[in-house]
Order: sequence, then C-alpha cells, then structure tokens
Amino acid sequence: MGMKKYRGIEKKQARWGFFFVVPSLLFFSLFSFYPIINAFYTSLFDKRALSKAPPDFLGLGNYIRLFDPSRAASELSFLNSLRATLVFTVGTFIPLLILSLLLAVFISNLSSRKAKKFLQIAYYTPAILSSVVAATIWMIIFDPRGLGNQWVNTLMNTPGVDHRWLVDPVMEQVSTMVIYFWKYIGYFIILFITGLASIPSTIYEAATIDGATKNQVFWRITLPLLKPTVVLVSVMAMLQCLKTFSTQYMLYTNGAPRAPINVITFNIYVTGIQQQYLGRASAMSVVLFLLMLVLTLLQFKTTNSEQVEY
Amino acid sequence: MQISKKINVTNIVIWIVLAVMLLFTMTPIIFMISASMMERNQIMRMPFSWIPESFNRENFIKAVAGNDQSYIFVRNLSNSLFVSSTVAITTVLIASLTGYGLAKFRFRGRNTIFIMIMATMMIPFEAIMIPLYMVVMMLRIQNTYTGLILPFLVSAFGVFQMRQYLTTFPTEFLDAARVDGMGEFGIYWRIVLPNCMPVIATLSILSFRSQWDNLLWPLLVSQTKEMKTIPQYISTFALERNTDEGAMMAAALLASIPMFILFMSLTKYFIGGAAIYESRKG
Amino acid sequence: MKRSIALVLMATLLIPFSLFAQGGKEAVVDENAPVTVQYWTHEDPARTDLENELIATFMAQNPNITVVRTTQSSAKQIELVQTAFAANQGPDMFNLPIENQYAYITNYRVAPVDYQAAGYANKQDLLDNYVEGVLDTVTVDGEVYGLPLELTNWAIYVNKKIFRDAGLNPETDYPKTWEEMADVSEKLVIRDGDILIRRGFDFRYPYYLTFFVPMVEQLGGELISSDGKQAIVNDDAWIKALTYMQEWGPSGRNLGSPTYKNARKLFNLDNNDIAMAHSGLYQEGRIEADNPEFFESGEWMVIPYPVFEDAVRDVASCYYGHFFMVNIDSDPAVQKAAWKLAGFLLSHGEDYLTRGGNIIQPTKALFASDTLKNMPYSDVFINDMGRAHMIYYGANSAEIQTQIRYAVESVMLSGVSPQKALATLRSAVQEIIDEQ
Repeated sequence: MGMKKYRGIEKKQARWGFFFVVPSLLFFSLFSFYPIINAFYTSLFDKRALSKAPPDFLGLGNYIRLFDPSRAASELSFLNSLRATLVFTVGTFIPLLILSLLLAVFISNLSSRKAKKFLQIAYYTPAILSSVVAATIWMIIFDPRGLGNQWVNTLMNTPGVDHRWLVDPVMEQVSTMVIYFWKYIGYFIILFITGLASIPSTIYEAATIDGATKNQVFWRITLPLLKPTVVLVSVMAMLQCLKTFSTQYMLYTNGAPRAPINVITFNIYVTGIQQQYLGRASAMSVVLFLLMLVLTLLQFKTTNSEQVEY
Repeated sequence: MQISKKINVTNIVIWIVLAVMLLFTMTPIIFMISASMMERNQIMRMPFSWIPESFNRENFIKAVAGNDQSYIFVRNLSNSLFVSSTVAITTVLIASLTGYGLAKFRFRGRNTIFIMIMATMMIPFEAIMIPLYMVVMMLRIQNTYTGLILPFLVSAFGVFQMRQYLTTFPTEFLDAARVDGMGEFGIYWRIVLPNCMPVIATLSILSFRSQWDNLLWPLLVSQTKEMKTIPQYISTFALERNTDEGAMMAAALLASIPMFILFMSLTKYFIGGAAIYESRKG
Repeated sequence: MKRSIALVLMATLLIPFSLFAQGGKEAVVDENAPVTVQYWTHEDPARTDLENELIATFMAQNPNITVVRTTQSSAKQIELVQTAFAANQGPDMFNLPIENQYAYITNYRVAPVDYQAAGYANKQDLLDNYVEGVLDTVTVDGEVYGLPLELTNWAIYVNKKIFRDAGLNPETDYPKTWEEMADVSEKLVIRDGDILIRRGFDFRYPYYLTFFVPMVEQLGGELISSDGKQAIVNDDAWIKALTYMQEWGPSGRNLGSPTYKNARKLFNLDNNDIAMAHSGLYQEGRIEADNPEFFESGEWMVIPYPVFEDAVRDVASCYYGHFFMVNIDSDPAVQKAAWKLAGFLLSHGEDYLTRGGNIIQPTKALFASDTLKNMPYSDVFINDMGRAHMIYYGANSAEIQTQIRYAVESVMLSGVSPQKALATLRSAVQEIIDEQ
C-alpha cells in the first residue's frame, strides 16, 4: 500500500519533470532537429537554390564529391576547407587553452584583489565587443599603413616592410587567429579562474604544510583537480573554433583572398548561399556536424571526465 | 635570502607576461576610442600618433545620422537592445525550467533528451540557416521581432549550465516544500529560481551578448531598415563608407557603449563566474 | 496530464500564427482590389530619394497599389534575394546585377514583361524604345524578362593634381595602353619601404568579369568559346593577362593589391591617396556628394579604358545591367501592379540620370537627349560602351567570377605561376559550364 502510494508520487513527479522539459523539447525540435534532419535529407539530392524542378537524387554523390581526392588540388575544394579548419582550430585552440590556463593561474595567485579585478576586466573587454566591431578595428590595424606593420617593424627593426597581413596566405591565417585569440582569451581566462576558485583552499593548505613547492602544487594538485574545467573549456574552445565564420567572412568581403581562410562554415555559406548548391552545402554541414560530434565525444572519452570529488 | 630572490624573479616574469597581455587586449580598444575622434588623414598617417589633434565631432554626427540622414541608428540600437534582452529573459526561464526538470526528476527518456539537447550544440548555425529560414517563412514572421527572437528562445548551453548547477541543489529543500503542500510549479518558481541567481545572471549576460553579436540571422530576417539590428548597421556603414575610418570607429564605439555600460555595472556577473561556486561553498 | 502537454504543444505552435499572421499573400482577382508590391533593391542614397518620391506619386495615382520598397547593401542583396527565392518567398519585384540575375530566368523564377501594364502597346513597341540589342540579354525564347534599371560601364577617373605633382601633364601623359598604365603608375606611386602611401591606378578587384575578361579579350583570348562548350580559349592571351596582374601586385612592381582601400572611394576624397580609379558615370554624383569642392574644381577627368600595345581586338571594360524582374509566383494582380510600377519608374530616365544616382537607362530617348550629352565626360562612357559588350552572364557566372578571382589572387599574392593558375582555372570553369 505504502509502496504503491510512493510509486504514485514518483509517477506524478515524473510527469512534472517531463512537463518542465516539454517547452525546450518543442523548441529544439522545430529550430534544431528539424533543420538538421532537413539538411541531411537535402544532402542526398542535387538541390539548387533557384531550381523549381524536383532535384535529382544523388545518394551519397555529394559526399563522394566532397572527398574526391582528385579535387584536392583546387584550393577551394572541401578537402582544403578541412585543412583550413584544422589549421585554424589547432592554431587558435592550443594557444587559447594554454595561455588562458597560464594567465588564470597567474591572476589567481596575485595577492592584490584590485589588480586581480582590474586584469580580469581588461582581459575580458574584447569579448564584449561584437564580432563586426572587432573585425572592423583589426582590419584598420592590418591595413598596409596600419598599426600592425608599424608595431612589427619597430619591434623587429625592419622599416618599410609590408607584412601583408591580409593577403599573404600564411599571414592571413595568422591574422584570423590573432583576431579570434584576442576576442576570446578573456572569456576562457574567466572560465579557468572560476574553475580554480572552486578548488577548496584547504587542499592547498594541506599541500603546503606537507612541504610541496608551488610547481608541485600546480602539477600534482591544481591541474588534476581542474580537469573538469579543462575538459569543459577545451570542448567549448574547440567547438567555437570549428564554428568560426564572421571573422573570415568580414576579411573576405573586404578583399582578402578566400582560399587560405576557406574554413568549412565559410565554404558552406559560399556554396549554399552565394552559389546555388544547397545539396552540396548540406552535405558539408552534415560532415561538420559529425566532425564536431565525434571530436567532442572523443575528448570526453580520452579525458575520462568524471566529476572530481574533493 | 636565496628563496626570496628567486620568488622575485618569478614574480617579475609573471608581471611581464600579464603586462604584455594587457597591452595586447587593450590597444585595439584604445585605438578605436582614439581614432573615433580623429580626422581621417590622421588615422592613416605613419607613424600613428595616439593623441587626437582635435576632437572631430563630425565622426559621431555621421555615425548617428547615417549615410542618408535618417538617424536609423537609434532605432537599430533599440532593436538590438530589445531583441537581446528578450532572448536573455526567455533563455533564463526556459533553460532553468528544463534544467530543473532534467536535474531533479526521474522520467523515462530523461538522459536521451539531455543528450539530444546537448547534441544541438554541435550544429553550426550556417548549416541549418536555410531550413531555419524556411521555418520562419512558414510561420510568416520574417521582418518581425518574433522572427528575430524565436529561433534563439533558449540555448542548449543554457540548459546544460542550469542542469549542472541544479544537479547539486539540495533535494531536501524540494521535499520539504512538497510536504508543505506546495505545487511543483510553485516550487520551481518560488524556491528553485530565486536560488540560482548567480547562474541566472551569468546565463542572461551570455545570451544577451550572443544576440548583441548576431549578424547572420538578422541579415536574413530583417528586411526593412527599421527592423535591422546594430551589427547590420555597422557592417552596412562600414561597407558604404569604407574610407572614412574615423566615422567607422565612432559608429563602432557608440554601438559598443550599451555593452560597456552593462559590463561595468554587472562586472561581478561577467567575470565573477567564480561567484557561483563561492556562493555555493558558503 | 496528457491534455496539458497537448495544450502547451498547441499553444507554442499557434502563438506565432495568431499574432503575426499578417503579410500573407491572398489570391486577388479583382483589378482594383488593393495589392501590395514588395520591391527589393540595393542601397544607393540618391536613388532612394528619387524613388521614394516617384513611388509616392505612383501610389497617389494608383490608390489600390501599395509599394513596400526595401533596400540592402548591393553585395548582400544578391544573397538575400536568392535565399528568399529558395524558400519560395521571393519579393514581387527586384533587381540584381545581370550576371547574378540571369539564373532567375533560366530557372523559371521570373515572369515575362507584361507589355501593356508596363506602358507599351506590345513587344515591338518596347524593343523600339530601347537601344538596339540591349534587351537581348533578358530575351529567352522570344520573351523579354526584364526592364533595364541601369546599364553601366567603367572608364578611368583621373586626378589631375596628382599627375602634375609627379611632373606629368595629365592632358597628354595619361595612359592609353596597359603598359603605359603600369609605367605611369610607377611614376605616381609614393612608397614607404614596400608600403604604398600613394597609388597611381588600382583595379576594382572582385569584379573580374567586368574588367579582367576584356583585358584577356584584347589579347585574343576568350572566357568561353563561342559555342559555349570550351572554357578558356587561347592560353597565351590568358597567361599574358595573368602575368600583367602578377607584375602589378606586391611580388612584381608593387603598384597595388586587393588589400589596399577601395580605389574608387578614396578617389573622391582627393587626399593624395590615389591618382586613377575605375568606375562608372555614377561616380560623378558620388564625387559631388562626398567632396563638392573637388567636383567643382575641374581637377578630375575621365579617360577611356586602355588596351594592350599588341592588342588584337579593341575591347573596353564590359557593361553590366540591373534589370527589374517580377516574381512568377506572385499573384497575377501583384505581377501586373509590379510591371506597372517598373514602367512608371523607368519613364523617368532623365531624373535617374541627373538626380537618381547618375545611372543610365538605355532608352533611345535618353541616348539622344541633351541631358546625357551635357553630363561631364559622358562622351567617354558612350564611346567606350560602343567598344564593349555585355558582361558574361551564364547561369553560373557569379561562380566563374569567383574562380577568376582565385586565379588572379593566387598569381598576385601567393606566388603561383600563371601557367599553374590557368590550369586550375580551366578545369574549374570547364566543370561549371559542363554542369549547366
């Protein structure tokens, strides 16, 4: 009897739980699941934006085309986009992760509260500017006559050299990374500081009493305890980098060459929105989706992130 | 003696690293402020001098009046403020409701639903832009605030944050309220919600910021000039006046001011994500 | 409990419908029933002023027609119209550059001109009103699909002061050939190390179909063979043109590059940044708006598009058109109203020329008018138009332009050899035309 009543309450509660989740479920069904299913379906057809005729069914034709090795020579190919995305992600994500962790540790160890607060605010400020504003500022800095050349030439004592920030294939990739790094470093520093603050200070005290040096404390205590934050930050930073779009878009529309910065999202945009190949663009979208999914799962798996118990 | 010297060296290195980083993050912003007051030919002069020769009011007038003297800047700015705040509010409400449901109730399919919602974080916006646009067209909400807001009512990241936060929420509180005869929705509204203020603050700021920054979606949805948002204004302004760096920087600066104000008045919640954990420990 | 879930479900789905159900297109049969025409066009402040005025008059004359005019920046407009059409929600009337717009005809997205509604007795009457051959571009299977809002070609604007500053006489020393263009530019540039402080001339970079393809044609090359089957005709011509661009760029004689500021916008400021820029007649109005002092000073002039010294064909910069087109899926009454609007707007050709952004509508009347003859340097543009042809406008011309952009950028900026860039270009363009 008592058991049954308990069951009843549980059942009622389960309904409430489900009821609470319904609005989100509806929302994501309409604005996330439906579009991605639609994208997957479209990727099987040769759908063109303007064509009213029913599109040809290609099966996996669009995917085969994307990974066709004979197209790799063209720098506007999808394979090259994969490369550009990989270069951008690795080149941005690793410095972001390492430097934000390092700077967060430095800031957390400062004794002056005021300095701590000031630095956090200063580092975070770029993150509050919108991407459009950020790109506009940096494009003036990277102008041949802009601050970029002036700084580098003063630092390296190479007067009059144009470093071709936005035209040289290598420099152009570096420039996008610099802009991105600038905009997001503060955000990730804050996340790490949050993570560091969640480690109870008693652990440090115990370690110091045991005679551990600062270095040892960092490697043996802080880092392992920070693992959940590291995983979270790295997943977020990586997804963020894989999704990069507006920086590349702004540079391209202002005259920079496309091939070096033709990241997947940008290729999707050009193929689907500027040109007319919706089917082909959808196939790219599906590949990007799967790529992000696999990388995230892999990251969670390899770091084996159970919640750390203090 | 030996030790303190070593510590000093480390400290100096730390301060140098912090200072270089400070220089890197702040100079572009100072550049924007300084250039917004300059005449065009002073901005492009080599070498760049940081102090404006005179305050060029013209830049700000151009930035606000726009290329066609329509002062649409003001309307566009209000649009951005309205859309961003609405999204912040709805995100907090729906995400907390869902997060609460996922964290504190056991029902069939709970984990599946959670994983599915998480998976949507992996969907790049560009990938679903066209089907999404079709949904908006089907609902006939193009060129309306609803069209700008609806696809962003709640975010998977918000649900994730809320669920993580509420997982450790003491269940005894909830049970006590149930014993007192409080309804389930009442518990959510009067007990759960008021108790997650720190995460609510952080989440609403993040949602506000992401809409403040959104360029691609308004480009598709807002058709008339009256419905455009501030990133659109800046990008159009920059394209049409792309030689007038001073006015461009003035527009960029003015468009950033609301965000600056928000940041300065709510610094605690922007950078004090730490506050979430600190308040929990206490 | 199930009921409450269903209720939430329904409410969420219905709210948007019930609150924002306006804006739908209902079927209208009655000629005088109220109709709304959605007209999308690119932003141009002078033209906006004129068209708003004209549309107000039009709406007063036709009380049953409401016109909603929507503008976007020209680059965005191309993408927005296409996205809207992809979602089957295109505007009723719109204009795009013809190389982007042609695909709307081949994909059956636009309706043939309604001659009577546009104010013509019949097709012949329409053709008689326009300059010979202009409407061929939008004529498919005997039907005309668009009315030209503008026809634009580019010549070279010259700042005389900078010529004199460099010790040149603008009236005699202006460049007539591309070789001279490079040599004169060399004399005009001021550099700080590798960095260009002042440029002589610079190209209008992303628009390769307009200015670069004619350069190739001067040397005897072609983008697509006349039978439409083969991409890239006459390798020598292409390689020579690509080599010219390579020489122009930072790894050659360093005279200019796509990263510098847009030349035609700098030109107006008369700020000792650029001596020559590539633009259309409409630039005159922009100079006047941006810098009236410079406009009045007489310190600028316009010269014809140069040719190579050993050119085999005299070809000037291509002209391109913007055409008014009407969505075939719009309600018939709306289509009629849209053609009526187009016809009304285009009956004010002289207003467009003088105060609507200085654009040329290629009617016989306008070409014969004193208004056009009296525009400064209009003779240069009209002459060049005679030496030129319409820009390449296949169904995928925008994509072909992207490929040319990539080829030119790779030789100018990435150190790729012209031969290699050409091989890549050929296979890409060949594939595009094979798919058509």
